[in-house]
Amino acid sequence: MTPHGAPAATVLPGERVIALVGAYGCGKTEVSVNLALHLREHGLRVQIADLDIVNPYFRCREARDLMDAAGIRVVIPPGSQAFSDLPIIVPEIAGMLAPPAGTVSVLDVGGDDVGARALASFRPLVRDGGYELWQVINARRPFSDTVAACLEMQDAIRASSRLRVTGVVANTHLIEETTEDVILRGVELARAVAAAASVPLRLVAVMDEFADTPAVRALPEPVLRLRRRMLPPWLARARTGTRGATHAARSVPLGKPTPERFGLSRGGRCHG
Amino acid sequence: MTKVLMKGNEALGEAAVRAGCRHFFGYPITPQTEIPEYLVKRLPQVGGVFVQAESEVASINMVMGAAGMGIRCMTSSSSPGISLMAEGVSYIAACELPCVIINMMRAGPGLGGILPAQSDYFQATRGHGHGDYQVIVLAPSSVQEAVDLMTLAFELAETYRNPVMVCADGMIGQMMEPVEFAGEPDALPPNEMGGDDWALGVREGRKRRIVNSLYLSPDELNEHNLKLKAKYDDIAAKETRHELYGPEGDAEGGGGYDLLLVAFGTMARICKTAIDDVRAEGLRAALFRPITLNPFPFADLRRAMDAIEGDGAVFDVEMSMGQMVYDVKLAAEGTRRIEFHGTAGGVVPSPDEVAQKIREILGAAPA
Repeated sequence: MTPHGAPAATVLPGERVIALVGAYGCGKTEVSVNLALHLREHGLRVQIADLDIVNPYFRCREARDLMDAAGIRVVIPPGSQAFSDLPIIVPEIAGMLAPPAGTVSVLDVGGDDVGARALASFRPLVRDGGYELWQVINARRPFSDTVAACLEMQDAIRASSRLRVTGVVANTHLIEETTEDVILRGVELARAVAAAASVPLRLVAVMDEFADTPAVRALPEPVLRLRRRMLPPWLARARTGTRGATHAARSVPLGKPTPERFGLSRGGRCHG
Repeated sequence: MTKVLMKGNEALGEAAVRAGCRHFFGYPITPQTEIPEYLVKRLPQVGGVFVQAESEVASINMVMGAAGMGIRCMTSSSSPGISLMAEGVSYIAACELPCVIINMMRAGPGLGGILPAQSDYFQATRGHGHGDYQVIVLAPSSVQEAVDLMTLAFELAETYRNPVMVCADGMIGQMMEPVEFAGEPDALPPNEMGGDDWALGVREGRKRRIVNSLYLSPDELNEHNLKLKAKYDDIAAKETRHELYGPEGDAEGGGGYDLLLVAFGTMARICKTAIDDVRAEGLRAALFRPITLNPFPFADLRRAMDAIEGDGAVFDVEMSMGQMVYDVKLAAEGTRRIEFHGTAGGVVPSPDEVAQKIREILGAAPA
């Protein structure tokens, strides 16, 4: 448990490689991108790899300009291959699994056990380098609404990646129809999954507008404030499908990161 | 039913199950693969049958076989796969068999790319397979609407014994939105298509039935085509659907407008954002959104055009090089100036881009 107001470094102490896995569509990419931006904001060197070999749209490569601007190294398939649906794993990822001191590598892994298979080829490196493998859970997604279903997914991910899940991230929401009740029920489910798997609930990811509500502030777990980065085209500023600017939010101009812009305030928990 | 967060493709799969569909035949292709992926998990839970066929050609012929037996069934694919199905769809239409086909459109031509497009409009509404046949084409603009149209798709297919295509751009399939499945789990009773007088199966003493598209006698084939034509005319008279996004929100005909946009699917949502933006600047624009691409709502569009103030123009926006715009011109019959803006390749116009075009057409200063 991290007390409210503790330095962010204690929220995420010293992990060097954080791989996010979970059921298809559970929000791994949003969590990965927001986590990378958060860590960067708190002075860490951050690199993020898009290991998604499953999803054809809304991958973290869509937010690359945003992350470039924040000084985050983005490792994605080169050139037009980034727009393909081929299972491309770039060789730089091997290097990311043993990051230098002061650098955190965030791996955005594809959904389900099928997506997690991308990790298996790096298993010796991941295992020996020390790693965190966090299962992201959105309880409002199909096949994710019970402890049994989430544990089944965890087993399948372990079988295909040959790596053990070391933590859980609660990420329950209904996008614009999210309510506090939806979030809190999701946290309960995530806690139950974590308890059943004997791993900690590492983060509660909460959309910006709920991060400061009393109920969310009262949560004992670290809270990661989320700004929606993967936007549908009618909410986007720029054309979708062209490089990078793809999912820049209409209300958030690109540029140098500032705490206000990224929804991060200094000090405190992830949400300050 | 609590709301769940679903990808359009998954939601379409669940909607099919709830519409009583228990038989799916298909072949994977981006960006629709989540439909079979969802159904391969879901159909066994309800005693259904999922078959991954060896090709799209096989898929559509399996659909034809199942439909011929009076079994509610469907397939799904994306543009190149739909091209492969053309012959089978022509046969199914000729045999007057009900089925639902989903096309989650991607950018073409050829292998093209995996990003969203609307460039199969001609294919869906005009020139898919050979012969004088038509497919009913429904175009959802949100995940929730995709769900709602799925039940309608099966109802229309069975009412008219005709293939129905749910035609969406890949964005609809890939995006996630909260969705609710209204009513009973099985909106239509599973596998009861009312094929009492036409479906094949065990004869049990009844008269022999034949599902056939071969008519060697020219007179007979002419008669068959006239019968199909009468059915298509009936569909056109009864089944057009559209939305007018007017000055007073969604209300039909609320207030006046100087420019009428026409768009469907994802493009229509982008146009709505653009319209909201320019209305804030005092520009009066509205949107006509066809929900049925075939039958195309010609009469309703013409009425919406006639309501444009003065000699205001019509502005058609598509994620194609200009396909629906031909139907828009047919509806106008030369009475209005028709402007067009389109993109291809998976490039999706932004609301700002559409808003800027609106300002140009209306002669307003750039924002």
